[in-house]
Amino acid sequence: MKRTYKVAGHKFAVVMPDHNLAWNEMSSCEPFVCEDADECLFTAELLDAMPDTSGKQKVTVGCEGPDMPRVELFEWNGEWLMELAPTLEAPVRAYLITDKAFSKGRFRLLGSMRFSLSTVLMLMFAFATARKNTLLMHASVTMKDGKGYVFLGKSGTGKSTHSQLWINNIGGCSLLNDDNPVIRVMDDGEVRVFGSPWSGKTPCYHNVDVPVGAIVNLHQAKKNAIRRLSLVEAYAAMYVSFSGYRFIKDMADGLHATNEKIVSTVPCYGLDCLPNAEAAWLCYKTVSQ
Amino acid sequence: MKTKKGYRMRPLGKEYILVAEGLEVENANQMISMNATAAFLWEAVEGKDFDAETLAQLLVDEYGIDIETAKKDVTPLLQTWEKAGIIN
Repeated sequence: MKRTYKVAGHKFAVVMPDHNLAWNEMSSCEPFVCEDADECLFTAELLDAMPDTSGKQKVTVGCEGPDMPRVELFEWNGEWLMELAPTLEAPVRAYLITDKAFSKGRFRLLGSMRFSLSTVLMLMFAFATARKNTLLMHASVTMKDGKGYVFLGKSGTGKSTHSQLWINNIGGCSLLNDDNPVIRVMDDGEVRVFGSPWSGKTPCYHNVDVPVGAIVNLHQAKKNAIRRLSLVEAYAAMYVSFSGYRFIKDMADGLHATNEKIVSTVPCYGLDCLPNAEAAWLCYKTVSQ
Repeated sequence: MKTKKGYRMRPLGKEYILVAEGLEVENANQMISMNATAAFLWEAVEGKDFDAETLAQLLVDEYGIDIETAKKDVTPLLQTWEKAGIIN
């Protein structure tokens, strides 16, 4: 069975046998089902057996912290092979083999399917769209008055907490996505933020998009303060908030071009904050002007 | 001395940033902002052997300043590059 999904305007297809249990783990993708299967950016197909990858050559390993997913990248048979695990030390839970254009992925799932299937699709999406004015972000996004406010920060800084503070204190706010929203520069230059099937621990899978009102980089501090970021500061704050393999030149070029357009278009701020209502009000009043 | 491998110069507005894009760079998120002059010098000596003298002469040729002024400009720049670990 093949089903097509559309996230941030990019279509992709998932191919798995009809009665495979992995379909039960696709609920976060449901809001993104698309009837029209033409012009998919990529296809991800479940393998019924793993090929012999013994000639694989290790390229790099990525893991942003002990409790963050680990992705080991290999070159194998002229393609990329990724081995995925939910944490730094955990055993491999999924294999993803893809052509170098990231248009045709094949994957194998082991153990808990939810983590592995979701991660496989997220990686394929991030890499396939990296050259298409699109960034899969690590951020929390709250909507207010038809605009999306994108909160950045290192893991544990309080991005989700800050979103909740807006929602609980400022009327008319709602959460668009709590972990992996997608920002896209549209053909007319408008910068929009989209919900996605990936939202970390918060089940929040909205097929909704709005223009980006502002991007706010959060830092924990002893008192609340906000300021506008320079172009370079904004670029740097964004740079660490999306992923991609920058040693792949055309991917790095694509990510750079998109980031540059975003930070040149959208107002970006740095917020020193406590986890309190005053921080949310200070932020909201400044960035919604 | 030589520029280290794995960095790429990216224009950003009126400035430039040198970003770590190669797998050989340990700190994958490293980024150094540069003005147009520093970026010009980096690109002129990238991958080649150079010293303070080389950079000063490049400034003289490009901007028509005298060699003494050029040398004074180059000293703090080289210190910044050394501190950032982008040359060896």
